Amino acid sequence: MLDTEATLEIQELVAEFKPGNADLLPALHKVQHRYGYVPKEAMGVVAKQLRLGEAHVYGAVTFYSEFRQIPPPKTRVDWCSGPACRLKGGEHVRRALEATLEIGMEENTEGDKLGLHLAQCNGTCDFAPQIWVDGKVVGPLTAAETIRLARELKDGAG
Amino acid sequence: MLRGFEELRSQADGVWQATQSRTVIRVPIATCSIAAGARETLEALREGVKERGFDVGVQAVGERGLCWLEPLIEVVKPDGSAILYENVTADKVEKLLDEAIDGVCADLAFAVAEGPDVEGVQRLDDFDLWALQDRRLLARCGIIDPENADHYIAHGGYSGLVNALELSQEEVIKTVEDSTLRGRSGSAFPTGTKWEFLRSKEREPKYLICNADEGDPGAFVNRILMECDPQSVIEGMAIAAHATGASYAFIYLREEYPLAIERMEKAVEQARERGLLGEDILGSGLSFDMKVWVGAGSYVCGEESGLLASMDDARGMPRIRPPFPADAGVFRQPTNVNNVESYADVTLIMQKGLEFYNSVGIEGNRSTKIFSLSGHIQRVCVVEVAFGYPLRDLYHAVDPATYQERRKLKALQAGAALAGILPTHLALKLPLDPDAFKEHGVLMGGGGLVFIDDTACIVDMNVMFSWFLEDESCGRCTTCHGGTQRMVEIFRRIGSGGGRSNDYDKMQMLGKALQYSNCIHGSASPTIMLKSAEFFREEIDEHIIERRCRAQVCRDMIRYEITGDSDKLLEAAAICPTEAVVQTDEKWSIDQARCIRCNACKDVAPDDVRIVDALTDVLPLAVAEARAAG
Repeated sequence: MLDTEATLEIQELVAEFKPGNADLLPALHKVQHRYGYVPKEAMGVVAKQLRLGEAHVYGAVTFYSEFRQIPPPKTRVDWCSGPACRLKGGEHVRRALEATLEIGMEENTEGDKLGLHLAQCNGTCDFAPQIWVDGKVVGPLTAAETIRLARELKDGAG
Repeated sequence: MLRGFEELRSQADGVWQATQSRTVIRVPIATCSIAAGARETLEALREGVKERGFDVGVQAVGERGLCWLEPLIEVVKPDGSAILYENVTADKVEKLLDEAIDGVCADLAFAVAEGPDVEGVQRLDDFDLWALQDRRLLARCGIIDPENADHYIAHGGYSGLVNALELSQEEVIKTVEDSTLRGRSGSAFPTGTKWEFLRSKEREPKYLICNADEGDPGAFVNRILMECDPQSVIEGMAIAAHATGASYAFIYLREEYPLAIERMEKAVEQARERGLLGEDILGSGLSFDMKVWVGAGSYVCGEESGLLASMDDARGMPRIRPPFPADAGVFRQPTNVNNVESYADVTLIMQKGLEFYNSVGIEGNRSTKIFSLSGHIQRVCVVEVAFGYPLRDLYHAVDPATYQERRKLKALQAGAALAGILPTHLALKLPLDPDAFKEHGVLMGGGGLVFIDDTACIVDMNVMFSWFLEDESCGRCTTCHGGTQRMVEIFRRIGSGGGRSNDYDKMQMLGKALQYSNCIHGSASPTIMLKSAEFFREEIDEHIIERRCRAQVCRDMIRYEITGDSDKLLEAAAICPTEAVVQTDEKWSIDQARCIRCNACKDVAPDDVRIVDALTDVLPLAVAEARAAG
């Protein structure tokens, strides 16, 4: 692989990590923290740094639901898939979100303005059913409230 | 006394006393209270106090676990009297500052925590959901600043480590064995025995792992401990290091808990600064350090060998055992894995002694357990109760109004996706004792209790949990990834009206086959399915035979219909995301081909829209077949 400017930057970013030191996930976290996702070039750099096969690194990136392979949206909407939300109408919220934003889970709207992510329960169940807009808990939501919010987000982002 | 600990403690006492010399407003900053707006409240309080020139401290603390009251602010006066104020969002801060500093703000007051009675305000100790608790592990939550190790030390912190360091390794392990402490994650394996496995290994270095990958949906027990009293977990790990000879530890923490990660990292750093981690801790000869290791969203990494694989091999695929972690754990070195709460329990044992620890609880399960309660209840909360506490009493305290309403509790789902589900009539008879749950073939689990009322559908719950288990299956063994996939297919088919009379046989067969999975993720995955078939047969039968969902939840079994003609339908038409609410010749109807059953039209026009069964009038082959077979 050629050392482009981008890969040199990633090399520097992960220089502290060592082979055989349980460092693969920490390295990927650091990459994602910087770029918002794990770019394809980064997998090669991390593999080289940790003396692993590139497929091995790719395997890890795809195994975990929190590693992204596409750039993050400007506004991220997390839909909580936990049981308390489901019991209180979380599915209505999901249908409302997907229909209004016209995307499915783990997808971005055009130009990466908005993105949907299926999130796991974080225990703020007092606000069920809920979504997190850029990490901030919004709930409890009816489907109608979700649609209004999603339309606002869409207009705001447009 | 060990070298330097007295100085540490007197310095910590000084720091704590200084905060108590004037009126202090405690604002809980933790995930639940932040969701309720506590950060904005904190900011508004700081500004308000400054503007008014009050000599009042504003202190960020942990939360008490009474989530529905958040932000739950406490005003503590220099004389020690303290009053709690409920739901103090930023817009109520002015009022609070107007009234609560010199007197009592009666409108916002929730309870008197300390000091003389106040007319018209209950005492916290008389409040049912507080009175039934035995707060030991949570004793400091909501009182101290979790980002200040001195606050912890001033409240007895690290005295447990000091006590442990004065004992031999064998004596510490004996104490833990005598406490009968069993793993709090739900595994219920004796902690002392696990430690002895590690202690007896000669190969070095040895490692400790704190399993903080609390992935059970509906469980947030460990999160509260890590966010609100992180040092108690670190102290427990340091005690374990002394007892087992481990020299380094990893706290495997899920990425979904960003605040817990931040707090644990800060706590480790502060412990290190004070010489409570590092080389030759307090001159005892013990050298031990740790770091926080962040997961990336995988449920199966909560399984201990999946966790180890996640660190070593990158993909968190559970390993075949033996070898067990004590022989070949992280880096294939001897390793001990305990849960967050288990380490906190060790701290409690060493701080307060066995006599205190054993003074509550039941035979075989002494002391307390923390539970997180959610679902169809009024009071979402985290509580700590003695083992054996009656579940019925706890339920009444978290949902006092149920009896006045038409809602009826249907089921309890304890311990999340792998543990099972029980109908109310059995669940509410149980004490909070893992062994009592086992008698019904389910697990009490790590502390998540999800209450389910009759607005929920049991088939839908199975679709949710089986999909979760399928999605989180690591994919190594076909038994598990294929088996969980079959569960999803069966329940989706039943939920969409394609149930077959032999589906129960299929479930039984699948349940048996899944026992041959590599790890507990696969072998326990059919529990909810099998328990549902056992206890909720009537409701599943309705889906299969009558093609009807009594809770009107299963999407393909219901249809939305317009029954009214009020102006609200204009609003319904506007809100519908698929333009399915249509008007032709002044008559409203729903275009069934477009409708996605999101319920938005019914949200805005509840009296004009109703849900009806969609499939009951069609007699499918499956029903004819089922009826012919009797």
